[in-house]
Amino acid sequence: MTSKIKHFPGTALSEEDFAQGKVLFSHDELKADFAWDTGTGIGAYLAGLKNGILLGSYCTTCRKTVIPPRTVCEMCFRPMQDYVQLKDTGTVNTFSLCYVTWDVKRITEPEIPAVIEIDGASPLHGILHKLGEVDPHQVHIGMRVQAVWKPAEERQGAITDILYFKPVEVEA
Amino acid sequence: MSLLKSDPNAPQAWVGDLPVTSRYTYGLAGERFFRAIKDEGRILGSYCPKCEITYVPGRVFCERCLSELDEWVDAGTQGEVHTYTLLYVDHDGNPLEHPRLVAFIRLGDGGLIHNLGEVEPEEIFIGMPVEAVFKPQAERQGSILDIAYFRPA
Repeated sequence: MTSKIKHFPGTALSEEDFAQGKVLFSHDELKADFAWDTGTGIGAYLAGLKNGILLGSYCTTCRKTVIPPRTVCEMCFRPMQDYVQLKDTGTVNTFSLCYVTWDVKRITEPEIPAVIEIDGASPLHGILHKLGEVDPHQVHIGMRVQAVWKPAEERQGAITDILYFKPVEVEA
Repeated sequence: MSLLKSDPNAPQAWVGDLPVTSRYTYGLAGERFFRAIKDEGRILGSYCPKCEITYVPGRVFCERCLSELDEWVDAGTQGEVHTYTLLYVDHDGNPLEHPRLVAFIRLGDGGLIHNLGEVEPEEIFIGMPVEAVFKPQAERQGSILDIAYFRPA
């Protein structure tokens, strides 16, 4: 949209203007360090990722498997029965072609965030990740995908231990 | 039913930081105000002849009548303590042995919030005349901290 606007009213400033001291400014950096307690469920999930495993949890009452694992079922509020090891394949539930980075820089090759329903989890239960090794025009809802993992020695117990999900051939 | 077990190999905490940075430009009036502090060691205000108000820091329009202000005046470097506070904790909540002295200093019909210096906490009173102590010109960057502090005048 903004590419269609030719002229913005106001005083445009370039990096050069700042470098040459043409305008005064103040720079600030917010100290925003944080430590987030992983808890039982997400802790086990992250430990699983380090081992190349996707973990969910199962509620016997609701017969429901969720990913990432929760300790308490969000349907019936009872404790979850057990962890379940899920496959690293799934189905694209929804996706976006994103032509800006997280810090709002324009890019020509889009990043493709997608919600992927993981095989073994209950229908409509999935995780948000990225797609890769795919032509953006070929991405579609219902596309079958598989996780591409980092090499085992590089995994840190983080969601980025999966690099992205790539399309897999569907057996006819 | 049993509770899910904690994984002994699980990370206790997820540690990170948010890269939040900002660059603030002062605008038309702010540019003029801070330029005067940096280059001339002067505190500028702007005067509204209709409302007879001298705004400090100077601004480009009158808050009362909304007319454009183009009459810039030197507000001097002396003012008086309008109100003040003694800060015994720092930004992170750590206790301070010697309090930071922060005051609102009246200049013209406005004023500045700034630090007090060269004064003991018990000597400060509301209405105390104070003057700006500027940093050496070479150290000034066009910031409110180009004024090091205000001291009793």
